[in-house]
Amino acid sequence: MKHHELAVKFYKQKGPRHDKSLWAIRQKRDKAVKEVKEWEELRDKASDIKDYVIKNLQSLVDEFIKNAKNTGIEVVFAKDAKEHNETILKYLKEINAKKVVKSKSMLTEECGLNEYLQKNGIEVIDTDLGERIVQLRGEKPSHIVLPAIHTTKEDVAEILNETNTDPTYLTHKMRKLLRDEFLSADAGLSGANFLVADKGWAVVCTNEGNADLGAVLPPLHIISVGIEKIVPNLKDLGIFLRMLARNATGQKITTYTSIFGKKDNGKRVIVLVDNGRFERLKSEFNETLKCIRCSACLTTCPVFRRSGGHSYRYVIPGPIGSLLAPLTDKKEYSDLPFACTLCGSCEAVCPVKIPFTKQLVNMRRYVKKIENGELRMENFSIRLAKKAMHSPAMFKLFGIILRLTPKPLLESVAKEWSRYKALPAIPKERFIK
Amino acid sequence: MKIALHVPCYINELFPNVAKATALLLRNLGYSLTIPKNQTCCGQPFINSGYETTLPNMYDEIFGKFDCIVSPSSSCVGTIKSQKIKISPKTYELSEFLYLQGHKNLAKNHKPVILHNSCHSMRHLDVATPSELNIPYKNKVKEVLGCEIIEASRDECCGFGGVYSIKEGEMSYIIGKEKLNDLLSGWKYYFTPVITGVDMSCLMHLKGIAEKEGINAEFKHISEILLESLDEAS
Repeated sequence: MKHHELAVKFYKQKGPRHDKSLWAIRQKRDKAVKEVKEWEELRDKASDIKDYVIKNLQSLVDEFIKNAKNTGIEVVFAKDAKEHNETILKYLKEINAKKVVKSKSMLTEECGLNEYLQKNGIEVIDTDLGERIVQLRGEKPSHIVLPAIHTTKEDVAEILNETNTDPTYLTHKMRKLLRDEFLSADAGLSGANFLVADKGWAVVCTNEGNADLGAVLPPLHIISVGIEKIVPNLKDLGIFLRMLARNATGQKITTYTSIFGKKDNGKRVIVLVDNGRFERLKSEFNETLKCIRCSACLTTCPVFRRSGGHSYRYVIPGPIGSLLAPLTDKKEYSDLPFACTLCGSCEAVCPVKIPFTKQLVNMRRYVKKIENGELRMENFSIRLAKKAMHSPAMFKLFGIILRLTPKPLLESVAKEWSRYKALPAIPKERFIK
Repeated sequence: MKIALHVPCYINELFPNVAKATALLLRNLGYSLTIPKNQTCCGQPFINSGYETTLPNMYDEIFGKFDCIVSPSSSCVGTIKSQKIKISPKTYELSEFLYLQGHKNLAKNHKPVILHNSCHSMRHLDVATPSELNIPYKNKVKEVLGCEIIEASRDECCGFGGVYSIKEGEMSYIIGKEKLNDLLSGWKYYFTPVITGVDMSCLMHLKGIAEKEGINAEFKHISEILLESLDEAS
């Protein structure tokens, strides 16, 4: 099923609740952002830093690896998802790990790490509350910061075999269950929000402290992180830390912001992943590498709020997902750049000023390139219409044809419109005759 | 100042009254206005459908000699501006043009209207401030109108989106219906509400929904409201 069908199905199932919850978060975000009078300046600065990062990515990667090694972290570079998964398995095998606790990382979702480890006999427990809920439901996150936003408290009670649907009660129950997992895990896996190049440190932002428990309790902590998460120095990091949580959920800062260097009670490994990023750097979509995964573009998107994240069928949904997914599989995700009204709200909330509107239009052109063979009829009419763009006489002819066409025929030609909306009445005369 | 009227193709075909109102309004305000004949389409539907296209060269040819070009559609102006042709910097959406010329409160005696702030006017042009940005709020359409204005509680998209309304017809309708309800929720008068805006395309979409659902509302482009007020005043 493609986006539209899944979107309508989701909306009909869930009604307006999903949209209302996310709009409330958008409003919280607006309020928090407006507390910072230099917000728009921060966006300019953040965008400039990220432009610098994508222009100097290779040298920043080298600098980070050198400095991380100096602080006592092992760093492995993985060129793709396969290498990433194999590397992590190798480290886990070394200590004969049977169970790992994992905190949120969209990159491990991108690489399909959970499935890979489970196939190799290692139990993976997601420890972020929302991620644990979707894991127990056998689903994928539907939002990159609020992974279980598509579920209700009743859904959570059901997976915990509870009749009490009180959110506080359910959270405490989940907390207790997860504590036992933390204490018995052989290793902790996490992502990272930022890597500081000149220090060789990894920065992890969470609200539940679950990444910290996974990083500190077991003897092995592995961080999976994409190369684009590098920032040059601590001063630049400060700018992103001021923006990330405000823009995502309207908090001033995440409850836990942890900076990891060498691990005192064991080993810390960073798996630095390319998986197509250096390739993307050379493409017209290289600005997508500026993304800090704050999720504000998902939350604000009028389509996403009503369609839910699963309708995008890719690990990262919403506007940023519609730019990333077709780069991994053009044919499968060719519908995504069209699941968008080009309203520009994503661009207005983006903390690093990714030019979403322009990129989404370019992505439509990019996916069209394979569709050309399949859509001859559309091609023919488009070619005709494009000719008319340059010919006022042809344009006039179209106007005459429009006026001669009986209404039922017009309605059937424009059936995607007339099924839901009345067609405008066609006036007898044009303005410029 | 020599002004040319850009007539968006869909307005020329479907809403000639809007083009007419814009022309009369500008002339009544004392501007010398030319309406060039051979206008076609700015290419927005093709570009947004993923086809490569360039604005017809004749756009520069037709409009190049004028001091400024005024258009009653912010999405067409957005396209002309994004294409970076010669006339791009001197092309203005109607309400923005009026605002820059210092026309304020032109409809101050008009009965209350509901204003739909379109995404193109807020997020692609500088006609009004969208709620996402932390910059001082302004709304040029409201200032030009000057009458009592009722707005939706959310300044989000109406769900039209041009090609979106065809690609995802049902979702487009769903977003549109919620928008319509939001726009009408603040209406507290006994007479039929009038919904206005600078983009006839959003209004066409909302009107289509209202008609199909039997919702009582009138839809008028801002030029029609402004012209009515000017006529009453004189």
